[in-house]
Amino acid sequence: MPVPLRVVIAEDAAIMRDGLTHILTHRGHHVMAAVADATALLAAVDAHRPDVAVIDVRMPPTHTDEGLHAALSIHRSHPQTGVLVFSQYIETRYVAELLTGTPEGVGYLLKDRVANVSEFLAAMHRVASGGTALDPEVVRQLIGASRHAGELAALTPRERQVLALIAEGRSNAAIGETLVITPGVVTKHIASIFAKLGLPPSDSDNRRVLATLRYLQS
Amino acid sequence: MLGPLLGGPFQRQAWAELAWLAATVPLTAAGFAVLVPLLLAGAGLAVMAVGVPLAAAVVLAARRLAGLHLRLASALLGENLPPLPSARPAGGLLGWARLALGDPAGWRSVAYLVLRAPLAVAGTWVVVALWVYYGLLNLLAPLQVLYHQGQPGFRPFVLRAPDNAALLTVRTAPGTLALLAIGMISLLAAPQAVRAVVAADRLLARAVFAPGRLSERVRQLEQARARALDKSAATLRRIERDLHDGPQVRLAALAMILGEVSESLHDVRLGDDNEDARIRGLIDSAHHNATETLTELRDLSRGIHPPVLNRGLETALASLAAASPVPATLTVTLPARPSPAIESIAYFCAAELLANVAKHGRASHAALTVTGRHGRVVLTVTDDGRGTARQVPGGGLAGLAERISTVDGRLTLASPEGGPTAVSIDLPEQP
Repeated sequence: MPVPLRVVIAEDAAIMRDGLTHILTHRGHHVMAAVADATALLAAVDAHRPDVAVIDVRMPPTHTDEGLHAALSIHRSHPQTGVLVFSQYIETRYVAELLTGTPEGVGYLLKDRVANVSEFLAAMHRVASGGTALDPEVVRQLIGASRHAGELAALTPRERQVLALIAEGRSNAAIGETLVITPGVVTKHIASIFAKLGLPPSDSDNRRVLATLRYLQS
Repeated sequence: MLGPLLGGPFQRQAWAELAWLAATVPLTAAGFAVLVPLLLAGAGLAVMAVGVPLAAAVVLAARRLAGLHLRLASALLGENLPPLPSARPAGGLLGWARLALGDPAGWRSVAYLVLRAPLAVAGTWVVVALWVYYGLLNLLAPLQVLYHQGQPGFRPFVLRAPDNAALLTVRTAPGTLALLAIGMISLLAAPQAVRAVVAADRLLARAVFAPGRLSERVRQLEQARARALDKSAATLRRIERDLHDGPQVRLAALAMILGEVSESLHDVRLGDDNEDARIRGLIDSAHHNATETLTELRDLSRGIHPPVLNRGLETALASLAAASPVPATLTVTLPARPSPAIESIAYFCAAELLANVAKHGRASHAALTVTGRHGRVVLTVTDDGRGTARQVPGGGLAGLAERISTVDGRLTLASPEGGPTAVSIDLPEQP
């Protein structure tokens, strides 16, 4: 059983807010506040200093990207609070805004991902502990729009799968579980990928993720 | 025949026409005396910055004055001409001046006021001479002559022509009767004369403002089209928003709950093996369907109105460029935000053009530029591919050209063999 987290939820649709609160509470987490707009979110984060804030991008009053701005502001003012942004759409421009600076403790997921509760909770844990959680769709766009198409083409299909999972923010162990391969094989793949892309090898999961993201965006 | 003639002064229409002259003669006179000199001054000063706004202000004022004439003509004369088409405001002093000076209705108003000036003079002359001078004054003549007759210092009553020459000098009682007759004839004739002037007025107003003029009709249709496009853009935006706040969020919550149910039942045995497998299969299938529907709904809704457009064209295009499979740079220079309908068309054009670059261009780089100038928005996508792109009937570019033709947009294509390919979409800022 993973450590219980202190969570603040910001989502303007009551059905989603209540559902999330129920599931998180049932799994032993503490939902400190569940609010419906960005102003209340900032106040709740100030008051409770949660481990993670789960934030919908579109909230009142303009229903455009209030949640994103609130997330960026929390990320700056409360670096110890992870921000997990979720949204009906992936906008690559928002990804760039979230990943500039120190993309540690940041996540951006499609709203659909909450349907897979365990995966969603795993992403929330990663973000709460300073890791990253990017939607597979975000990673697909990052790889698709990368300036390093030539180098990426040199990867084997398996290596490309591993690279995508690294960029999503997953640990070696999680990659091994997902692809049903042993940790040793995962390490071998990563070493090969980093060599082909000309990245310095690194032993920590987080640093590997950051190096990969920086590479894809450069 | 004689009835209407004799009843002239007592008809409602006669009074309405008199009221029309009384109300509009000062308006026309003021318009002519003030606006025309100012307009000439504006034209004279056109080389200086102040001339153009001055002339524009005069045209706008003439438009308002002519509009007032038209409303009075409708109320008093029953002359139902269409109201002047509303001028759509454009941004900035220069846009405003261009709008005023390029406005046919405004110039027609100026022409109307200039042409009406002589009619206003004629109307004034008819009213003053026939109604007052030859009419009412002569009716009073017998009273004056009878009252003063035989008294010392009696001044004979003299009827004068407008140029002050004596027409008739009356000293006797029968003479006053003659004056009375002249007065009555004058009053009977006055409404007919007024009517003649007003008839000319009607002709002038119809000639200048009547519908059926092709250019006017085109302008009205353009305005109707712009309203229809704006309305449809607003409707699409609302539909997207309703989908987002309604079905999409409910479906996401449903999928989440099904996911939770499935995980909660993970360690629970549901009847015998067959039954267990059947129930899990049902739950998984429901879960799968919910997430698939969510994906379909998202694609559908994105095709209706990409929500990122709410943040403006630049942000939306930045998102497109960032997601483009062929690396794309973006340069946007827009002084003002185009109308939502134009933003939407520009966005979908850019998406299609970038997709084309990825599909056919064999390009390693694309440049997307958007420039706003003189009320137009020009979007250009250039790639460094091998060129030879052609606009073929039924092809993607032809589809784009068709789509932008609804707002009088133009597509230009330059794609020599060996590249580069540049496609430009030229759109109005407002539809």
